[in-house]
Amino acid sequence: MGKQTKTLDPWQPFREVLAAPLQTALQWKTKTGRKIVGYLLPDVPEEIIHAAGALPFAIEGAGVQVSRAQAHIPGYTCSHAMGTLELGLRGDLHVLDGMVIPYVCDTTRNLFHIWDSCFPNMFNEFLRLPKRLDYTAARIYLSAEFTRLMEVLGRITGCEVTPSSLANSLDLYNKSRNRLREAYDCHQRQPSVWTAERVQMLIGSSLRAPREDHLSWMEALPWHDNGPEDSQPRVPLYVRGKIWDPPGILGLLDNLGFQIVRDEIITGFRSIAEDAVLTADPVDALVQRHLATAPYPGYHFDPLEMPRAFVKRVRESNAQAVLFLNPKFCEAAAFDMPDLQRALEEVGVPFLSLETSSRGAPLEQIRVRLEAFREMIAGDLP
Amino acid sequence: MQQIESLKSLKQINFDYYSGAHMAHQQGKFIAYVNAFTPVELIYAMNMIPIYPENHAVIIGARRQSAEVAQAAENIGYSMDLCSYARCDLGSIKAGISPTWGLPKPDLLVISNCQCGTLTKWFEVLSRMYQAPMVLVDVPHSGRGERDAAAEKYVRSQLEDLVAVIERITGRPLDPDALRNTIRLSKQASDLWTRVLETGAATPSPITVFDQFISMAPIVAQRGTQVAVDFYLQLVEELDERVRQEKGAIENERFRLFWDNLPIWPELRRLSTFLEERGASLVTSLYTWAWANLAVGEEDPLGDWTEQYLYTANMHIRRRIEDYVNLASMYRLDGFLYHSNRSCKFVSQDIPEVRRAVTERTGIPGVILEADHNDPRLYSIEALENQLEEFLDLLAARRAH
Repeated sequence: MGKQTKTLDPWQPFREVLAAPLQTALQWKTKTGRKIVGYLLPDVPEEIIHAAGALPFAIEGAGVQVSRAQAHIPGYTCSHAMGTLELGLRGDLHVLDGMVIPYVCDTTRNLFHIWDSCFPNMFNEFLRLPKRLDYTAARIYLSAEFTRLMEVLGRITGCEVTPSSLANSLDLYNKSRNRLREAYDCHQRQPSVWTAERVQMLIGSSLRAPREDHLSWMEALPWHDNGPEDSQPRVPLYVRGKIWDPPGILGLLDNLGFQIVRDEIITGFRSIAEDAVLTADPVDALVQRHLATAPYPGYHFDPLEMPRAFVKRVRESNAQAVLFLNPKFCEAAAFDMPDLQRALEEVGVPFLSLETSSRGAPLEQIRVRLEAFREMIAGDLP
Repeated sequence: MQQIESLKSLKQINFDYYSGAHMAHQQGKFIAYVNAFTPVELIYAMNMIPIYPENHAVIIGARRQSAEVAQAAENIGYSMDLCSYARCDLGSIKAGISPTWGLPKPDLLVISNCQCGTLTKWFEVLSRMYQAPMVLVDVPHSGRGERDAAAEKYVRSQLEDLVAVIERITGRPLDPDALRNTIRLSKQASDLWTRVLETGAATPSPITVFDQFISMAPIVAQRGTQVAVDFYLQLVEELDERVRQEKGAIENERFRLFWDNLPIWPELRRLSTFLEERGASLVTSLYTWAWANLAVGEEDPLGDWTEQYLYTANMHIRRRIEDYVNLASMYRLDGFLYHSNRSCKFVSQDIPEVRRAVTERTGIPGVILEADHNDPRLYSIEALENQLEEFLDLLAARRAH
């Protein structure tokens, strides 16, 4: 795309993408004549869409004010799914040529049915992700499913996905993720310059912009600017949840003196944590990446191990506290909560749980709770 | 309501089932917690007793204890937005309140997720609570019901592994003769249950869905035993006799209705009376049909279960609409009651699209009733009755024209 590369503000390209992601994608489509394939988060391998010659475009429903969707899906549905449907119904997603919805929970399963009914003229595909993670047959099935997705997307775009084209896409996305991880590291060293909000802007825009352009824009970032050190110690925080919801939560965390040392948000560190390490079989590399990624609550592995593995990840991050951003009406996350909280209590890690929803608590109310949380743990700061 | 005599034996059947399970557990017999779409015939054949935490929750709801018990689960951190079956079961354990004296502790938890993902998460909690192993039979969903050869291999391999897990726990190999026997009994019960549901097509219907709900317990929990066969044999004979005599479940059948989704267990009696007083008979339901045609063959049961879980139980919207259109014709329906069930997103989220499509294709109206299958705090029964009243007025007006 090559836009905005001469701007003085190196953050501007990313800001522009997120300010008008669909317009940016449309410009790319007009210029290249290629297709845009939307995908519902999480865990749709962008690399396959990219290798099929299309632009992978992440769809996120949080923060969308819902009106039309209420006639198609009940109100006791999470804002991610409702907001996505709303975006479609109000015509915002007309630039998409296709849509991939992953099977990560009952709601995404039903959303696919509803989406397919509402938009029968779009190429809609359901990605049949297995729910078992620690099981050999699931690995084999996932490989077959990714291969099927390659074939389907090749038919949609007219561009066959070959092992070689897929390997090239893997290489590009690995490079991009590596750079994004460096940005995440910068947040650890200079949280005032590389704020959580800015780092998330980088990750969020990478999920919507052409990845080649995005990678080149990142070169202009102030990687070597040592900048001012923080005068106040920050609370190292681990965040678990689905998406950064409500919008504005990251700015709040920055301003209130938190530092996100690790997160499991599907548009956050979780999306860049693992690379698809290139081997002889690029599909297998994607399978390995999927299985190595911090498990989404809709997946299943040894239930006894689940809280232990979570506490281990928290401890390895050196976080002093945990923030749960649980989307209202997300059953998978809500079932885990009591046992996760108990596990944290046992090891003395304080936590705060926020139930998030565009129809939920206003940001100001969340600020008060976060302030109180910070004050509660401030005495323990080093 | 013209009471069905055969249903009187259910109290004893349920008592025997739960007390028998407790006693067997005390005597060292193995207990497996399961859900609807698990190979219960295999569990029985391998000398384990299958227990359904969902059924436990149903009994709590039907006894109108659910508000108190669910609150106990909420008090230990389980959100009120979670399935009220799960909250009732977990809350019952916490509060020590249970009409079945609790449930015997499990040696194994077996779940298949073609029923829903909620049960997987609920069973994970139970697995941690009891430190018991859990086997998930993961059933991929193809979105539009397309066949999926890779998924068939995947599901079958999990069923094969399940046999190995049970053999390890019980220390006894699978006895093919025992499996053939439970499969035979299961098929008999399943065929009889299907016949029970089919009698609802008669006019007047000899049984309402309310009575079907009550009589489901054996087909759910005791499929593969002689108990279920004997019960349904008796029930079918009585219903066939009613059909011959043109004796309806309600005295003045004016409207024949479909019930979508799970029942509202705490309101069974009230809603049943309300509808009967207005000449409305619930003649068929998605929920009760879910247990029809669950039989497998003796030749390759693992293959049949694979087929069943992937392509029969694994409901997708197009087939659901097709099924409802067919049922409308088979049962000569006047209207559809869609229970938009806050506790069952799996079955409920599609409902607006299903209603639209079914009415478009059949011309038969439907009303969406937002409620909950077990938690009376999440709906107003008076508001539901008002909606039903209006809907029945609409049906009467349509008929007058």
